[in-house]
Amino acid sequence: MASLYLHIPFCEHKCIYCDFYSVESLDSMDRFLSALKQEIELYADYSIKEEFETIFFGGGTPSLLKPKTLHEILDRLSTTFTIRRDAEVTVEANPGTVDRAKLRSYREAGVNRLSFGVQSFHDDELKFLTRIHSSEQAKVSVLMAKDVGFNNVNIDLIFSLPNQTLQRWEENLRQAVELEPQHISAYSLIVEKGTPLADMVAAKLVSPLPVETEAEMYEFTMAYLRSAGFQHYEVSNYAKPGFRSRHNSNYWNHSNYLGFGPSAHSFWSATPLGDRRRWWNVRSIDGYCEKILNRQLPLAGQEVLTEEQLVEEAIMLGLRSDGIDLYRLSSEFGVDLLTAARSTIEQLTAEHLTTLNDHTLRLTDKGYLLCDEISEVMISSISLAHTSCESV
Amino acid sequence: MDHIRNFCIIAHIDHGKSTIADRLLERTGTITEREMKFNQVLDDMELEQERGITIKLHAIQMKYHAKDGKTYTLNLIDTPGHVDFSYEVSRSLAACEGAILVVDASQGVEAQTISNLYLAIDAGLEIIPVINKIDLPSAMIDTVKHQIMDLIGCREQEIILASAKMKIGVDEVLEAVVNRIPPPTGDPRAPLKALIFDSIFDGYRGSVVYIRVFEGTLKEKDKIKFFATNKIFDAEEIGILEMQRVRTGMLSAGDVGYLIAGAKDVHDTKVGDTITHAERPADAPLPGYKEAKPMVFAGLYPVNADNFTELRDSLEKLRMNDASLTFEPETSVALGFGFRAGFLGLLHMEIVQERLEREYKQELITTVPNVEYRVLTRSSNVVMVDNPALMPPLGEIESIKEPYVRAQIITPSEYIGNIMKLCTERRGLYNNTTYLDPTRADLRYELPLSEIIFDFYDKLKSTSRGYASLDYEFLEYRDSDLVKLDILLNGEPVDALSTIVHREKAYEWGKKLCARLRKLIPRQMFEVVIQAAIGSKVIARDSIAPLRKNVLAKCYGGDITRKRKLLEKQKEGKKRMKQVGRVEIPQEAFLAVLAMED
Repeated sequence: MASLYLHIPFCEHKCIYCDFYSVESLDSMDRFLSALKQEIELYADYSIKEEFETIFFGGGTPSLLKPKTLHEILDRLSTTFTIRRDAEVTVEANPGTVDRAKLRSYREAGVNRLSFGVQSFHDDELKFLTRIHSSEQAKVSVLMAKDVGFNNVNIDLIFSLPNQTLQRWEENLRQAVELEPQHISAYSLIVEKGTPLADMVAAKLVSPLPVETEAEMYEFTMAYLRSAGFQHYEVSNYAKPGFRSRHNSNYWNHSNYLGFGPSAHSFWSATPLGDRRRWWNVRSIDGYCEKILNRQLPLAGQEVLTEEQLVEEAIMLGLRSDGIDLYRLSSEFGVDLLTAARSTIEQLTAEHLTTLNDHTLRLTDKGYLLCDEISEVMISSISLAHTSCESV
Repeated sequence: MDHIRNFCIIAHIDHGKSTIADRLLERTGTITEREMKFNQVLDDMELEQERGITIKLHAIQMKYHAKDGKTYTLNLIDTPGHVDFSYEVSRSLAACEGAILVVDASQGVEAQTISNLYLAIDAGLEIIPVINKIDLPSAMIDTVKHQIMDLIGCREQEIILASAKMKIGVDEVLEAVVNRIPPPTGDPRAPLKALIFDSIFDGYRGSVVYIRVFEGTLKEKDKIKFFATNKIFDAEEIGILEMQRVRTGMLSAGDVGYLIAGAKDVHDTKVGDTITHAERPADAPLPGYKEAKPMVFAGLYPVNADNFTELRDSLEKLRMNDASLTFEPETSVALGFGFRAGFLGLLHMEIVQERLEREYKQELITTVPNVEYRVLTRSSNVVMVDNPALMPPLGEIESIKEPYVRAQIITPSEYIGNIMKLCTERRGLYNNTTYLDPTRADLRYELPLSEIIFDFYDKLKSTSRGYASLDYEFLEYRDSDLVKLDILLNGEPVDALSTIVHREKAYEWGKKLCARLRKLIPRQMFEVVIQAAIGSKVIARDSIAPLRKNVLAKCYGGDITRKRKLLEKQKEGKKRMKQVGRVEIPQEAFLAVLAMED
């Protein structure tokens, strides 16, 4: 199974915390769109290799695309690649950029999943985050989506905003759940380097929440959404049964994906013995368009992953999402994790940080809080086991 | 022989010994001003220059045309200025007939002025007092004159006023060397007696020995014998020491020069030993030889366990030209494979550490230094313990003796109170105070060496605004009420953090050490309990709360590579951490004790 990602690098306004690549002017939209269509064709070879099961329009703000444009891109994708009939087709939508007609047209064009960047239901928090929409607009958008027939909707939320209280966060979660989405992504705010938010923190205009409060909010989120009927299937992702994001899940289980547009990443594993490669596009619309005009792939970099790196990623991604599949790790990479990291796993399990069921090693709620630490310990303990084998 | 003068220069650190030496070399035309420009020639090791301390002594020959119209051969034998090397100082003094005593006009007499002076008087040397830096605005010429007159009982007009920097008094010093210092005596036809006052390691030639011949004549191809080791060698090359070695083929009574005898490293050619002829030996060696004994010990471990062999090779190379460095392999649960090294003192330890790091590019973890304890067990055995982790269990110990030193502290009178307080805290026994003049006191204490090797010198300096100076010598082993203080992390003892402390200080010490470790050990996934214990009795406790949250919220297509690289970096960092039980300990923690604040 494989996935397609399209990066639409335009925003009406760039939010203070966001480090994804996008520009605030729409001037280069047409140039970009024609380059995007050409880039898709540069990958025509991949059509014979695999069937694609998900398409994801991310950004930036893909909901700035006119329905007609979106339709054209989807057409181009389906003439170039083999796309499954039941493919999951997602568009990220900013509540401030959609109306009923647009949503209906998206649906008619083949979009079957919407991901709303709501972030908060408190207007003061939205204002702090420099979102362009109000809480009311967000609610209306989600209801409209349902109304025009979308039955797979995600709401993005952000917690641990400066000065946020657990109570205020609980209100956000409650309002999200009341809108009955099939999926909720709840992210703890990351102060990314180079963003206006990072500058504000550096200038001490705002201060991040204490770790303790952040931890409490995260624990609360896991418990709250579970009791509302959501499955916690990745660090920040929760879905009603049957509604996990197939697209994102593919990132986390090393499935193949092609990314189009500036800054988009791709990963391709030419099975069984070919190399495993990840590559990424330039982070500039001009640079991107120029390369495409010259019939070149707009690459900024690439890496061929070693077996060791793949194992490390499999462990890291597995722990972050639905657990490490020990059987798969052993059959694909010949790594017997249970033997290699036995004492680590025993300790983690004894401390209720992980559970082991059948052949899957999963994090508990307590474990999710320490996910990065556990990944590191796990990776170190298997590489130490490697070293000691070599020296014998 | 009448035209030879063998002498040295003695002084407290930074009183200008090297600058005076430079002026003598310049004035006698041994070296040109231009050659002198960049460095002070006698201190040719990089480290020595930075510290302003002559660590390894050398010798150099000058020709001087004196005012009496005759030409004299002057052998200047350099001496190290630090207390760690007092044995080496005494041997180089033994090679001379006279000493120039240099005192800084703005500082006055200090601890090493006195200790070196006493060594010189003991060696029967003619003393030429020189007050240096008289050009400084802060010079107190009269005060210093009186200090010196009280100290050596000389007349005022015997003291030479100089400024090596301004080239004042240089001729007077040279004339005094010629006129006041007696020429050497000795019979060139007598059985050979030559004193080794230094040896250096030459990568091509092996050990190069610096000698002073007292009796007889030494020629190339002679069969020679070393008294201390009883080893016999051929004298391969003999010569004198100018800016380079100058081969002369022969040295006889009164001469100073070098000898190469095919000895592989400096351990066959020990400082203080006497050389004689194998065929016609002298009946007894020159007096005063002793083995340089290490007083301070510490564990040296590679940061990365893979570099153990490299560290051993580096230590072996260092030992080739440092006969007083000792080391033995040892194992630590916390640190893996490493060495227990013995040093003359703290400065010696620092020098070895820095040379390993700079010259040999070794990344080191050095454990907290300690002295050597003499333990009497219940079964009436005496065990020498140079590693606290190896102290016998409490129940087996009858008594513990520790080394005491006789310490001399020279200080402006206003800091006497502070210094007495410091010495009392360090378990010092007060002997007496004498006054060099109304403003300057000389305090004598008996102190446990273990109390001096941590930060005592720094404390002494800070409590006296830098004015007090310290000198000490080994006194004897004495009974003390000592205990081994162990540090436990989650119940597991960390052997490399064990220390030996006085029972009365154990509680305070344990508390501070736990608090310090709490700051140095990062949070882990579980609670880390830090305990200080004597035997099975816990006397202090602290804890590090477990990590609360460490997870990055998002990881999509574009984040995976970045996230993996971060993990790889953390994994590398982890290799540098040491582990006891499950607790990961950063290197800095092993030096926690050294950096403890009050």
